[in-house]
Amino acid sequence: MEKKRIDDHEPGPVPSPRALDRFGFVKQDVSASDSLVKNRSAFENERIREERRVRKWRKMIGVGGSDWKHYLRRKPHVVERRIRKGIPDCLRGLVWQLISGSRDLLLMNPGVYEQLVIYETSSSELDIIRDISRTFPSHVFFRQRHGPGQRSLYNVLKAYSVFDRNVGYVQGMGFLAGLLLLYMSEEDAFWLLVALLKGAVHAPMEGLYLAGLPLVQQYLSQFEQLVREHLPKLGEHFSQEMINPTMYASQWFITVFSYSFPFHLALRIWDVFLYEGVKIVFKVGLSLLKYCHDDLIKLPFEKLLHALKNFPEDAMDPDTILPLAYSIKISKRLEELTQEYEKKNGKVVQSEELSEKHKFHESKGTET
Amino acid sequence: MATIGHNNLNAKLVLLGDMGAGKSSLVLRFVKGQFLEFQESTIGAAFFSQTLAVNDATVKFEIWDTAGQERYHSLAPMYYRGAAAAIIVYDITSSDSFTRAKKWVQELQKQGNPNMVMALTGNKADLEDKRKVTAEEARVYAEENGLFFMETSAKTAANVNDVFYEIAKRLPRAQPAQKPAGMVLVDRPAEGSRAASCCS
Repeated sequence: MEKKRIDDHEPGPVPSPRALDRFGFVKQDVSASDSLVKNRSAFENERIREERRVRKWRKMIGVGGSDWKHYLRRKPHVVERRIRKGIPDCLRGLVWQLISGSRDLLLMNPGVYEQLVIYETSSSELDIIRDISRTFPSHVFFRQRHGPGQRSLYNVLKAYSVFDRNVGYVQGMGFLAGLLLLYMSEEDAFWLLVALLKGAVHAPMEGLYLAGLPLVQQYLSQFEQLVREHLPKLGEHFSQEMINPTMYASQWFITVFSYSFPFHLALRIWDVFLYEGVKIVFKVGLSLLKYCHDDLIKLPFEKLLHALKNFPEDAMDPDTILPLAYSIKISKRLEELTQEYEKKNGKVVQSEELSEKHKFHESKGTET
Repeated sequence: MATIGHNNLNAKLVLLGDMGAGKSSLVLRFVKGQFLEFQESTIGAAFFSQTLAVNDATVKFEIWDTAGQERYHSLAPMYYRGAAAAIIVYDITSSDSFTRAKKWVQELQKQGNPNMVMALTGNKADLEDKRKVTAEEARVYAEENGLFFMETSAKTAANVNDVFYEIAKRLPRAQPAQKPAGMVLVDRPAEGSRAASCCS
């Protein structure tokens, strides 16, 4: 949106394409590319399968998403099954907008984003600026100082901080916005953020970021309970070692695994998250603990904390961990735990009618 | 090293301070000897450990690096509760971050472990030409509040190890038990002035 004096600033070194992984992150190690060479035929098979998948998906969503709603109504579980297998990367941006309800918000609110970006100011601007170069600093799109990636990130976050002044900008939101910006335009990313935080399709996420982080507290308390129920031995071990989920799982919920998690896994989680809601975050969390259960149970405090922030590579393979996650059934229990929590602590977020409150930002109060 | 175990101390240490002040960078410098120009923002909190040899003893720091933004305040008590030491970090190029540091000091004086060793650290000391907080101002404040004070640069490594070393030296030794129940022996010059101000 703004185009002022970007040339004054030193551009960060732009690495050669070979040094980047397929998502645009600077590669951490060289060994990954070696293994690619070794598995060339496997890679080729993968490519052919991927092409077949893309064709199926294109048919399902129609041109620009025109057939989507129809298909979804007729065959919701086909959609669910396909999403769980992963949305083809080339269609991800479009499909995310369709399943999150953000496309409808965008169409209902023409010109609003531009207004928020250009004409409004927010008290969060300095905080946003301080975090901009610290959000996905190893991604080629975001690492250039004042480059297009950083400008888009700033615009989306600033627009949101104006759109909802109660939330403003909270550390962690940048990773959500950053992830979205790799798959869609600024305006689309903004409305997807709105759809998530205000709850267009699923429970609103804004409670994760409101003062006191009420929804973080709720989710962590529920997660702790689920660990005790699904993995009682580990739950017991955690309490003996004085480990609680705040220490390792806050960022899972606050950023939906987009922070310090392998990107290819984060994307697959997001596919399911946008369609099925936050319960996938619980399920992935539980399945990581389950997968590493026998190791974790032996570790003392410090090593345990380290392990919980550095899961082994095989646990981070989407095709290992996601099927495990899908096999864990928690919906009903999660609902009960929510009710119990709300009875004890009051309801976290008064969810308002999205369409009523947010058709135009002018109606928003300016007080925090 | 004759009395291994006896002279080994585990100390929980927490870093507090405004976002972008350099908490994570200080830890990364201390623990790994590294510095990143663009250190990813900390979401939630991160845990590190590092052992230091001080005179005849070793001190193992169990370090909690916290998210700096005000909104994350509600998570902080969990990390400073029971901590033996705290480093309160501000950025010498930001007066706001110094104000925020003072708030943390107040909170720790009220809520924290009364024996806690507290360090006030003015980070980014390499950015002299952008300085907004003088060393003198911070030193006076630190003295009034019984903290020790140093300016550091995680970028150049200046004084970083020294802060941790100094904390290690000041940690109470040979604690008879984990919890010295009811026995509070600290001289806190601020005590008088705080009492005066809260009665007004």
